[in-house]
Amino acid sequence: MELLASAALYNILRGPLVWVAFLVFLGGSSYRVYTLLEMAKKEKVIFPFISLKATIKSIFHWVIPFASRNWRLRPVMTTMTFLFHLCLVFTPILLLSHNILWRESWGITWWSLPENIADIMTLIVIFTCIFFLLRRIFAPEVRFVTFSSDYLILAISFLPFFTGFLAYHQWVLPHKAMVNLHILFGEIMLIAIPFTRLGHMFYFFLTRSWMGSNFVGLWHTKDW
Amino acid sequence: MVVKNAPKEVVKEKYVSKDFKEYVRDVIPDKGLDETIARLTPEKIEKTIKAVIGGRSSRIKAVMNTCIHCGLCAEACHWYLSYDKDPTYSPVAKMRMTIWEMLRRDGKVDAEFIKQCARIVFTECNICHRCSMYCPYGLDIAFILGMVRRICFLLGVMPQRQFDQAEAHIATLNQVWLSQNDWIDAVQWIEEEIGADYIDLRIPIDNEEAEVMFLPLGAEPKTGTYHLERTAKIMLVAGVKWTVPGRDVWDCSSMSMFVRDMVTMQRIVRGLYENAARLRIKTMMLTE
Repeated sequence: MELLASAALYNILRGPLVWVAFLVFLGGSSYRVYTLLEMAKKEKVIFPFISLKATIKSIFHWVIPFASRNWRLRPVMTTMTFLFHLCLVFTPILLLSHNILWRESWGITWWSLPENIADIMTLIVIFTCIFFLLRRIFAPEVRFVTFSSDYLILAISFLPFFTGFLAYHQWVLPHKAMVNLHILFGEIMLIAIPFTRLGHMFYFFLTRSWMGSNFVGLWHTKDW
Repeated sequence: MVVKNAPKEVVKEKYVSKDFKEYVRDVIPDKGLDETIARLTPEKIEKTIKAVIGGRSSRIKAVMNTCIHCGLCAEACHWYLSYDKDPTYSPVAKMRMTIWEMLRRDGKVDAEFIKQCARIVFTECNICHRCSMYCPYGLDIAFILGMVRRICFLLGVMPQRQFDQAEAHIATLNQVWLSQNDWIDAVQWIEEEIGADYIDLRIPIDNEEAEVMFLPLGAEPKTGTYHLERTAKIMLVAGVKWTVPGRDVWDCSSMSMFVRDMVTMQRIVRGLYENAARLRIKTMMLTE
């Protein structure tokens, strides 16, 4: 506990490990996208059919809740997944505590969420993660294709938000220890993104481009 | 109470997959699956799998690294819905039981596994792409299962009928084992049969003045001759200058596509276009 709450640990987590986490996240993600595009170039049947217009149309169509039929068929899942992703992405970016750190490090500031809103958004992430976990366990079509890696990436996404929430409210562990844990889990998540299926966050745009280009761009059919 | 002459309860033999215990099916004999696996060796299987998916094409890689195992494709699949939402019929389950397992075991699977794969991708999926359309990421699940079909085809394991059709295309470039002479004979015989119905009713063969080239399915000259009859009548009444090709390729169907026989698919498409170029056609009209 002494180690966990120590300033020494904080300095490592807040200092060099931030660099490592972001470099691995940004560099690793770029590398993954680059290699996939290079592979696709060699395949010869991909790039000739890619249409930027169809890609954009398709991305918009699927990024709007209830726009596509499959989103409409599963309203609960759709609501949960959109809430989860929106809060997951925007809470860390607009959180006051994080913005203070950016200002400390780089002197840059931007708008912050009111604290109570940020709290609710964090709770949304926590509860939707629990929903996803229950889904994995109880829905037969999901259980059949659930492996340990699925539980792992769910945990990796869940823990930064859970520990962040606890740190803010100063529950469970001494504040400094919880903050250190939170930073650690956040960095683990960033580092894990290029190496796991959390990378769907950038692959989405490429795969959506393929399907949109084929069905909307080439065949002029509905994107469903 | 004993009922006289009651029919004995028929207990249907069930097949339970040794790899996936939830996969339970009726036993359905098909020599294209049952007998052909006797020719397989583990080396052949591994070599074929690596040849098809070992290079990890970008599409396969994209699916493996993006599929978040959400199961939203399940309700897109009419097989899954028809079989009372049995999870082993969902598209992602079909991927799990075929290609994911092949990748996990690095191609080292046995002949029984290949037979199981063939059963799944040929008889429990018809590559309709509904799952691909309903996937939030736009992952081409049907393409992936098509690659498994290719592996099974290259190993010679397919439902017997599919096998027959694929071989017909390889040997004769049509799905019904007709030679070029058979095709011309059939067209001329049909033309004779309908000659009394209208004056000037013809089925032109290799007519270089034609603007439209009609391409039937293989079954038309063999078992569905009324289709060609009707097409001829429609063309006459519509006043269209048309023709059918007098040589391969005249059959616009491609059962080769169903087994992912890329080489024959190419031969078919090339043959159709070569006929169009040779006869200087403006429009190719396919029956389907």
